[in-house]
Amino acid sequence: MGVKRMKELLEKLKEKKIKFEIREREEGVKKKGKRKTVLVYTPRENLRDIVKMLIETSEDFPHFSVCSFADYGDYVELNYHFSTGYGKPLQETNVILRVTLKKDDLRVPTLTDLVPATIFSEREIKEMTGIEIENIPDGRHMFLTKDFPDGVYPWRRDETAPKETRKMYEVWK
Amino acid sequence: MKYEIPIGPIHPALKEPILLQLTVEGEEIKDVDVIASQNHRGIEWIGMNRNNPVQSIYIAERICGICNISHPAAVILAVEEAMNMDVPDRAQYIRVIQCELERIHSHLLWAGVAAHEIGFDSLLHYTWKVREKVMDILELVNGNRVTKAIMMYGGVRRDIKKEHIPKIKKMLEYYKEGFDKLAKFFLEDKTIEMRTRNVGILTKEDALKLGAIGPTARASGVKKDVRQDQPYFAYPDFDVKAITPDMFTGEVVGDTYDRIVVRLLEVKQSVEIIERALDELPSGDILAEPKLVKLLMDLKKAEGEGVGRHEAPRGEVIHYVKLKKDFEPFFSWKVRAPTYSNIMSWIPMLKGCQIADVPIVAASIDPCISCTNRVIRINNDGKREIIGGDELHRLSVKKTKRLLEGGS
Repeated sequence: MGVKRMKELLEKLKEKKIKFEIREREEGVKKKGKRKTVLVYTPRENLRDIVKMLIETSEDFPHFSVCSFADYGDYVELNYHFSTGYGKPLQETNVILRVTLKKDDLRVPTLTDLVPATIFSEREIKEMTGIEIENIPDGRHMFLTKDFPDGVYPWRRDETAPKETRKMYEVWK
Repeated sequence: MKYEIPIGPIHPALKEPILLQLTVEGEEIKDVDVIASQNHRGIEWIGMNRNNPVQSIYIAERICGICNISHPAAVILAVEEAMNMDVPDRAQYIRVIQCELERIHSHLLWAGVAAHEIGFDSLLHYTWKVREKVMDILELVNGNRVTKAIMMYGGVRRDIKKEHIPKIKKMLEYYKEGFDKLAKFFLEDKTIEMRTRNVGILTKEDALKLGAIGPTARASGVKKDVRQDQPYFAYPDFDVKAITPDMFTGEVVGDTYDRIVVRLLEVKQSVEIIERALDELPSGDILAEPKLVKLLMDLKKAEGEGVGRHEAPRGEVIHYVKLKKDFEPFFSWKVRAPTYSNIMSWIPMLKGCQIADVPIVAASIDPCISCTNRVIRINNDGKREIIGGDELHRLSVKKTKRLLEGGS
């Protein structure tokens, strides 16, 4: 997305009264370039609309990288990492869609019909964090083995985190 | 009649455990399912619970042996953004040189594997012989061929010494002279063209929608390269351009042949970048904070988040790091290796191919997952029959011969 296209997206976000933050970091030695990131505080009910906006305002198609997650006790943070505007020097912008969810209501809608590349990350989020992905077309385990116990979520920092972990040399015994 | 053929979890074309479940009708592949849950090492968990951030650089280095510069590069980029840390100029240049050395050896390694997959073993040996030159330089500069432990928050751990420079330059000359020969072997050879042209096609649209990256995406005409789009380290100085196959052949097909073209041209590009970086290497410090204890204290006090994106040989590797005050390990760490995004492109690539094409097509994305020596073929009556890696390789070699004799 060129600079113009980016402005279009930000205008649309303002219209919908969705909060966002722009971050920049300078890189380079002789020739300086800026790494730009737009962090969008996305309410869960607007997630799909915002992704649609992102697709509309992208020249090619927004590149989906991955989902990341942080557990804060009462609530969790789910980040969708997108990038747009690639293909031209220094024009790329990272777009992070941050969805904050309460611990007693962990669910997000699927994005697989809009962005097919999200399927692996959604499956990963489902098994690693226990967040329910509504209407996920394929709910199998992604990285954890088939026989991994239910109700244990490795990325969480509460009672559902793995308790008994053994070091390699203990397994060999 | 439809058959299901599982390839993997361990297989010579797939360097780490992953399972490809193919549905075939005769020789033709109709459907593909990828099952990744074979071996989870829990590296992110270790970084989030057990290790301090400096230890995590070294565990990141062990995510993948070939990408042992790429993962630390992405994690330090993320942490430097989170801590808002400045890096000395010389260190930025050394990082670029290290990253490009890695690209040369990785692409040559892949080219050799690709030649092997189609039964062209003399070319495998020739390519790997050529690759030894860069491995020697890596050993000379880092003291080690793999797992070089060179990246550190705020700089690099070892300098490139004056006496190294003439030797590196000699290596660059060797590659410049040898490039035409290598390109001739790979791109003008009739056998390679027959086995790779129009095989495993990934259209531009599929590449965009499935989030393909690196040479896989570029071979389909997506001009995507982090070094160009969002340069980091000292890359803004080098004006890197994403390489697409039309620069060489004049058209984009998006097949296995195009992926060979892109990788070979990138070797040439890396040689040019290293040459410039050596000429323009600034003087000065190589570390922003040489005292490790102080650095660890700063890391413990830091609060923030960062995203590190680095163009690894296989595509963009991205690390997300969140630091929390008074919490020593990473509060959150997410690693996304390039193959994670490229695996999905196997599905459109393999559909319509023959079973004998699986090794070369699967290898064409340069998968960094891991490897086996057998395939279990389940016959219609449910009987299991094991095809060894040798047998599958023999099928592939047979196809090459068949094509040479004018068959299909």
